[in-house]
Amino acid sequence: MTKVRRILAATGLLAVACVPAVIFPVSAQQPNDRAHQIGAKLKCMCGGCDQSAGGCYHTGGAFSGPCDTAKGMLREIGARLNQGQSEQQILQAFEQQFGTEVFIEPPKSGFSLVAWIMPFAYLAAGTLLVVFVISRWSKRSLRQATAAAGGPAVSPEYLARARAEAERETDD
Amino acid sequence: MDVFGSFALLLAFVCAAYAFAGGIFAITTRHPLLIKSARQAGIATCGLIFIGAASLEYLFFTDNFSAAYVVQHSNRDLPPFYKVAALWSGQEGSLLFWSFILSIYVLSVLLVYRNKNGELMPYVGVVLAGVQLFFLTLNNFVSSPFKALAVAGTGFVARGDGNGLTPLLQYPEMVIHPPNLYSGYTGFTIPFAFALAALLAKYPGEKWIHLTRKWTMIAWCFQSMGILLGAHWAYAVLGWGGYWGWDPVENASLLPWLTGTAFLHSVMMQEKRGMMKVWNVWLVFCTFFLCILGTFLTRSGVVSSVHAFTQSNTANWFVGFLALALGVCLAAYFKNRDYLKSENQLDSIVSRESSFLFNNLILLVSCVAVLSGTLFPVLSEWVTGNKISVGAPFFTKVNVPLGLLLLFLTGVGPLLAWRKTSAESLRRNFGWPALCGLAAGVIAFPLGFREMFSLICLMLCVFVAMTVILEFYRGARVIRSRSGAGFASSAVELTMRNTRRYGGYIVHMGMVLVFIGLSGAAFNRDVQKEMPLGATMDIGQFKLVMQGMDARPEKNYTAERAIVEVLRGGKPVMMLYPEKRRFVTNQENGTMVAIHSTLKEDLYVVYAGQENGTPVIHAFLNPLVKWIWLGGIVVVMGTLVALLPNRRSVLVLTAEAARAKATKPALAPQNAVLREGHD
Repeated sequence: MTKVRRILAATGLLAVACVPAVIFPVSAQQPNDRAHQIGAKLKCMCGGCDQSAGGCYHTGGAFSGPCDTAKGMLREIGARLNQGQSEQQILQAFEQQFGTEVFIEPPKSGFSLVAWIMPFAYLAAGTLLVVFVISRWSKRSLRQATAAAGGPAVSPEYLARARAEAERETDD
Repeated sequence: MDVFGSFALLLAFVCAAYAFAGGIFAITTRHPLLIKSARQAGIATCGLIFIGAASLEYLFFTDNFSAAYVVQHSNRDLPPFYKVAALWSGQEGSLLFWSFILSIYVLSVLLVYRNKNGELMPYVGVVLAGVQLFFLTLNNFVSSPFKALAVAGTGFVARGDGNGLTPLLQYPEMVIHPPNLYSGYTGFTIPFAFALAALLAKYPGEKWIHLTRKWTMIAWCFQSMGILLGAHWAYAVLGWGGYWGWDPVENASLLPWLTGTAFLHSVMMQEKRGMMKVWNVWLVFCTFFLCILGTFLTRSGVVSSVHAFTQSNTANWFVGFLALALGVCLAAYFKNRDYLKSENQLDSIVSRESSFLFNNLILLVSCVAVLSGTLFPVLSEWVTGNKISVGAPFFTKVNVPLGLLLLFLTGVGPLLAWRKTSAESLRRNFGWPALCGLAAGVIAFPLGFREMFSLICLMLCVFVAMTVILEFYRGARVIRSRSGAGFASSAVELTMRNTRRYGGYIVHMGMVLVFIGLSGAAFNRDVQKEMPLGATMDIGQFKLVMQGMDARPEKNYTAERAIVEVLRGGKPVMMLYPEKRRFVTNQENGTMVAIHSTLKEDLYVVYAGQENGTPVIHAFLNPLVKWIWLGGIVVVMGTLVALLPNRRSVLVLTAEAARAKATKPALAPQNAVLREGHD
């Protein structure tokens, strides 16, 4: 393949690769109103759904949208915003009313912090374990190679096994 | 027929008990006739379960409202299509359906291997019979679907009509989504049975891996389809504009998929290098446990979910079975763990083995993170006395970075060599893909793709797609240079010569399409508005005009329909008809979303109902969603390709070449033509 054809092929591939980005000229996300944004951080406390107050759609209801509880919560958020309360104050008011269960995601404090730490702790511990295992296996492999270098000549059976293994490894 | 079905299930229980106990006795005595009779009992169990399931369907189709389960989940006007789905719409029927699907797998295994693997199959038969015995216990004694309808004071009676099927289930996808998901869940029983059997029997080598690889892929494929069909159902029916809500039941279906995916990758290390034997056995065990745990979560009421069945008395049985299965696996492992000793070591951190280790790590971390997040409300209540909610935003924040890491490894892993990869090979394999990925980012950013994770996702998608395309290109180029065939037919030939490898690449490509679709979620928009006649709503480049309302009475429900005209640039594009359905028998409501779907975006219109007598329209503009469904189709196609046997290339000499070979053997291959054959 000539250099020109290679460049043309690469350009073609690149053009295909960029299709999703090009066909989708994204505009900035439309901001929902402030009450809905804060409502998205609170759980709808109707007891019949596990959605946020801002995103409640209440499946199976006569109205496919926020249920009365979610609407009430959104109204209360709106009223508190009108009173000039900050987001933090509004969230605290709901926590006092319903407890920590009202937050759609665990707060990053107290025992809830465990929920946030756990996945990354698993990742860190797992990575350490994998690195440890790899280094241990590599060292063992190196020791065996060193031992083999000074050892007796390779037997025909070992060679046949090695060939079979190489065949398997290059197959896939 | 209810007595007939009930009796068939009872007989199935007896046969399964014999297959289990007789199988253990046969293994200890090694008596060939006993082994054969245990296998026949296993086959009879399956046949009887088929009869039980068919009997329940018969009750639905004949509107037999003397059966409590039929009354609860059907009615006379229910279309026949949904009478099939009514089988698994409730607790009792779904457990019978589980037994039914499992029986298809068990019967297939018992028949396919009836004259093969004589040392291993009695053990496999015992494990399978044990699992069947558990579900038949539930079907017969805990949650029978054949209970007669009883009314206090009047004894058993027959009702004139039933309560009808839940509206949410009256959607075509609900007829295919649960069977797919159940086929995934139950399908993982087969690799579990072979792994446990191999461990118990100390079956030599990697034979069990070879035997179960295709079964695992079939189960994985069904699980993938089940998850995606469920997501599509949620998208098209629930009317909230999304496809994945991180609901506990959705999470439960994802957990075995993650470990199953990890197993499908790590199993290659055992096949190629004789490594990871302990890991693979436990991955299979965990996948099975997670299937049972998922079923437990759905039925126990431990975690609240919109999908969950009514809280029932089956929860303790699942916990007991899970504990028993874990105990058996632990005992087998500690007794025979020497059998699982690895043969090989790792030569370099830059090798395919390492990439598989990291791939497994990410999948497992994601699995454990989803599981711990799902159970955290229970844990927090137990520890602190206060319930802490763990909703969708938590799972998204935790899993998005993990998903991106996994996507990166999807591109890197297959191009690394076994044992060790040289710097030159790294440069050759990853130079172009990395450059294309970066270029995609540079192009996408000014176009507005400015949400960090979405941009990274898009760049990685391009990177992975390029690695896959280059793999096909390089391989096909070699074949083309030898055979002279066209590029496309060379690529097909390449795929068919190593279906597993190239099928796997197609699956990776499918996952890339899924990730492209997911990356669009950051840019979703929605508008909700009261829309009297003639009112308009702007969303993106579309203008929606309310043209009216109508009512459409159907046999089973009445649809209240909004007629919405869609304009783009002032020109009419189409009419959309989002519906609200009122079901007659149970007085419940359902939604039918109207979707105008393109590769660019979905215009998703919901008729939410009425407020103050005015129709309310909730419109969403969801970019790139269609890519997810297309990706799902590609994943399934890739899996099917990987299940095909390899085509072998055979050198067939032309007459002229044969003559040449007779005189000059060294020249013959130049004139040889390739002929195809199969393994």
